Amino acid sequence: MDVEEVKERAGPREFSPADDMPEEYRKAATRMIQFHANSEIMGAYLERPFVRQSPSLERKLAFSAKVQDEIGHGQLLYRAAESLGVKTRDEMLEELANGEGKFLNCFHYPMDSWHETPMIAFFVDGAAMRRQATLKKTSWEPYAHAMDKVCFEEGFHVKHGEHILAELAQGSKKDQEKLQEAFDEWWPRILQFFGPTDDKSTHHDFAADVGLKQMSNDELRNAFLNAYVPKARKYGLEIPEYPRIEENDDGTWKVREDDLDWDEFFTVAKNDYEGSHEQIGKRHDTQEAVEWVRDVLDDHEQRPMGGAGPAAAD
Amino acid sequence: MIWEVFRQENAGEYHTHCGNVHAPDAEMAKLFAQIQHGRRKPTHSLWVVPQPEVHEVDDEDTAFGGTTDKSYRWAVTYDVDASFAQEVADSEREQEEAARSRGDD
Repeated sequence: MDVEEVKERAGPREFSPADDMPEEYRKAATRMIQFHANSEIMGAYLERPFVRQSPSLERKLAFSAKVQDEIGHGQLLYRAAESLGVKTRDEMLEELANGEGKFLNCFHYPMDSWHETPMIAFFVDGAAMRRQATLKKTSWEPYAHAMDKVCFEEGFHVKHGEHILAELAQGSKKDQEKLQEAFDEWWPRILQFFGPTDDKSTHHDFAADVGLKQMSNDELRNAFLNAYVPKARKYGLEIPEYPRIEENDDGTWKVREDDLDWDEFFTVAKNDYEGSHEQIGKRHDTQEAVEWVRDVLDDHEQRPMGGAGPAAAD
Repeated sequence: MIWEVFRQENAGEYHTHCGNVHAPDAEMAKLFAQIQHGRRKPTHSLWVVPQPEVHEVDDEDTAFGGTTDKSYRWAVTYDVDASFAQEVADSEREQEEAARSRGDD
């Protein structure tokens, strides 16, 4: 199939590993799904310390379940990416560990206090879920199938995140202050979650033309702001004056791009931010620490009968 | 030899098990699967899999989903509004449907 035919046929779940896809499509889809898979893993790493730091047993159970879900989503997505035949899962995990793998901007920043957890668990997960819901209609069938399961599970994450937010917002004055501080710090990063406005996004046009991507950055950001700004206000959070955002009459939002730090954003995007090194380092160390498990499994797989019998005959 | 057959009705949908056929090899299995399972029901694609390669674990072998109360991992547990975002409400509804199918409560 050539690129023109792909563009012509592009529709929800249109292409599968049974189709002979052009290299340009396979590379673009791999880039997009690998980024998504990496982000699931790195998001889980950011939240993992809060399994231990949860203030109650209920929160600990929920955080533990959530982190487990995110790692599972990463696994699903690496399989979807692998099915394009460009990179193996091993190669993608290696790239993530050595700092070549790219992932969402928000997961490059350290999260130190419990009051920050709703910033990821409600706002960032909510933004991610908005985007993921549109990807159920992506043209790469294995990606869409992964989204079916991811979206099924994510409702718990977002509602649990809001539950923590509600609890802190109704807590002591000190809780409310710390929540606002966390919001002030995370809000610009959350606005940048959907990337630069469309005219600056380099990969959008092709990904949209071949049906990989269903909505533009701006459309997604608008939909997110329409749903989540009222939520922030409901819980008494004050939207910071800068970066300036203005609601248009037609239900869309104007975000003053110049108020956002795009140098920082693109440093983050290149994995060159201070937090990038710290977060990737954690992933690198874990990857190395469990290398023996992968080796044992590989040895097992390579034995005759797929490891069904003993290694050596008596 | 028996081959299990999975049919996908339209592009993008899941291949679901629809039956099996006798055949001496994969080529013949694909042919017999077309005749037996691909003609009357709408079919976009068929998979044939040698029956001995299909391994099963069922609810007598294991307790799927565990044996402890895991209500903390379902959206419906958290008493905050889900209707503000369509995708959150959809997820909660799917989870509720799954709970009913599992026979929870």
